[in-house]
Amino acid sequence: MLFNTIDFAIFLPIVFILYWFVTNRSLRLQNFMLVVASYVFYGWWDWRFLSLILFSTVVDYLVGRRLKRVTAPCKRRLLLWTSIVVNLGFLGFFKYYNFFLDNFLRAFTFFGFEIQANSLNVILPVGISFYTFQTLSYTIDVYRRKLEPTDDFIEFAAFVSFFPQLVAGPIERATNLLPQFYRKREFKYEDAVDGLRQILWGLFKKVVIADQCAIFANQIFDQYSSFGGSTLLLGALFFTFQIYGDFSGYSDIAIGTARLFGFKLMRNFAFPYFSRDIAEFWRRWHISLSTWFRDYLYIPLGGSRGGTWMKIRNTFIIFIVSGFWHGANWTFIVWGTLNAIYFMPLMLTKNNRKNLDTVASGKLLPGFREAVSMLITFALTVFAWIFFRAESMAHAFGYIGRLFSASIMARPSFSNMRTALVVLILCAIMFLVEWIGREGQYALERFGLRWVRPFRYAMYYTLVLAIFWFGGTDQQFIYFQF
Amino acid sequence: MKRFIVKLLVFLSPILILAVGMELLLRCVDNSYKYKSTYMKTRGGSINTLIMGSSHSFYGIDPDYLSGDAFNLSHPSQTLEFDEKLILKYENQLTSLKTLYLPISMFTLYGRLEDSVENWRENNYSLYYGIHTGYGLGQYIELFARKFKINVGILYAYYLKGEQDLVCSRLGWGIAYSPGKMRDLELTADDAVRRHTNFNIHSPKYREIFEENVATLKRIISWADKRNVKVILLTLPAYKTYRENPHLNSEVVERTIETAESVARTFGNCDYLNLYDSDSFTIADFYDADHLNHDGAEKLTRILNKYNSDKENNN
Repeated sequence: MLFNTIDFAIFLPIVFILYWFVTNRSLRLQNFMLVVASYVFYGWWDWRFLSLILFSTVVDYLVGRRLKRVTAPCKRRLLLWTSIVVNLGFLGFFKYYNFFLDNFLRAFTFFGFEIQANSLNVILPVGISFYTFQTLSYTIDVYRRKLEPTDDFIEFAAFVSFFPQLVAGPIERATNLLPQFYRKREFKYEDAVDGLRQILWGLFKKVVIADQCAIFANQIFDQYSSFGGSTLLLGALFFTFQIYGDFSGYSDIAIGTARLFGFKLMRNFAFPYFSRDIAEFWRRWHISLSTWFRDYLYIPLGGSRGGTWMKIRNTFIIFIVSGFWHGANWTFIVWGTLNAIYFMPLMLTKNNRKNLDTVASGKLLPGFREAVSMLITFALTVFAWIFFRAESMAHAFGYIGRLFSASIMARPSFSNMRTALVVLILCAIMFLVEWIGREGQYALERFGLRWVRPFRYAMYYTLVLAIFWFGGTDQQFIYFQF
Repeated sequence: MKRFIVKLLVFLSPILILAVGMELLLRCVDNSYKYKSTYMKTRGGSINTLIMGSSHSFYGIDPDYLSGDAFNLSHPSQTLEFDEKLILKYENQLTSLKTLYLPISMFTLYGRLEDSVENWRENNYSLYYGIHTGYGLGQYIELFARKFKINVGILYAYYLKGEQDLVCSRLGWGIAYSPGKMRDLELTADDAVRRHTNFNIHSPKYREIFEENVATLKRIISWADKRNVKVILLTLPAYKTYRENPHLNSEVVERTIETAESVARTFGNCDYLNLYDSDSFTIADFYDADHLNHDGAEKLTRILNKYNSDKENNN
């Protein structure tokens, strides 16, 4: 089920009513209701893949319980690896099987060996990368004795499948989310209203910004060979806005929805396009994934404790794995590598933790240096997104080759230029609101709260109207495919 | 909690009132789907010649210039899949059918409505023809059947400007493209060519779509064969800005024409008439690069009528 559909607009109030009015007397019943709702939510897309979630849930629940009783290190390690193999096995099969097969075949062909093997017509289950990493965080934390495993299967199943963040995150840590299923949730008016505001802003970013930018980004990327450099630059910009609106919009809706049910999910985006360097960008973009890799991969690899070469190696590993997590394509690996290269100068000069605060905090506008730093970081990000969006390396290089040609100085030209201009104006409005609200958890958190009620409501109705006006395309969220 | 629900309902009430009001108003708007559905139910039995297809035939073939009882059952963006569904829907009514026109445009064999930006039109088949292709609310409720801004446009045009939505003549021909309304033939060619042909026909996705469409085409022709109905596959004229556009994927054009010729050779009840680059059509016949205007539609339909009578005379 997609957040931006009528189906979800009907599903959410039904679940809300059942949750707070029917099952609220029993915590266990309330958790069970959340499991059922989450399975319905997921099964709406394809019910066959519910068995995967269920299997993953059962395996990690049993591994967790065994880890509680077993003390011998080798047995504990064996249990941990059982969970890792099962979870990453599913992920590997559904997401990477064809990629590895194709590349092995190409490599053998390159060396003169002809091998016949058929690729499989595998459907990628929505959100598999997200819930796999979430359940892995549970097993690893239990193994590390950072978390007491749960004996209650319903609580654990609710944690794995919690519908607001099941298919595209934030990738929750068991230490944060699981304990919230243990205790009775209280309805708080302020939290619920704030949650609705966050949903509204998330929908605006998804439907009005991302889906409209997608029309032009798709057109320009799909037919790049017939456009000049300036149009391709515009295409890359449209994709830059699209992916931000799409993914941060989803996160806002997920976090807002969870708040309606009394849950607090971790923040996933912190205005990344206002970053002053790439290190800051990665502290602000897809925070739940970056910190997951930091805690479960970078630190176990030695983190920044070793010498310079160790740091370089670990940084490259993190970025490349992060790229590969996004999809089975060389373009994602190059995208990850490119970000690692961007990151290197900052790390080697020990400037990677320079910009920890919010840009121009307490001020209306940034200083000159800050503005230039933001612009350079933004430009680097836009360039890297070309690899992320391209369907193959040839596509990416073809796109970049045409982009950096003399035609970059020409006037952009493609169909529906007027609509494109309207979309760019909408993007500018979104970034203006985000700039004003950049010190909050999300842009609309404080925006307009001090306005008199008619103005505030007029703003909310304007957003609703814009969502209706541009809505109806029911476009998938980009990150569902990951 | 009570305060939250009350305030939320107060906030939502104008939106709900607006939604109900729009739904009621939309249900009263006449459109070509509603009209054609009624026509097929009430007069389907008298139809000798049926025209299927997309906007190309909707605006390009005027049944008034065809002999006998002809009717145009095409709709913008209608694919072969929906051609077949419509034919099967009314197969019991089509007792007098003798000739079936199936346009083969450059997107016909590589297009699927569910994949296109026009996929909301699927809801029209559910709402007006009872052909359900999914479980979405749009299949039953007008308001959700298409984008909000399209609904606003329909209501504005119908109630404030007195215009009908998707107007068609009494025999189903699209009458919106009068000669005075010509669009830029270069720009529209660029746009249409990219939409219609800019993809890799060898990719698994397009190979699958192609196979599905060819299978559908053959099923329709077999259906017609069993009922002694003549099928005329027809590629309508396109203006030279379309045909000679640098972005036109010639593979799509060649494969489409080859396939239509091959299918026509396979079936005894099927002819293929290719007017894609016919000299008979000049700039004055086009509304845009790939759609005929009133004059073009009259010219094309007269050619079709002559082709049919010549065939009948030869037989």
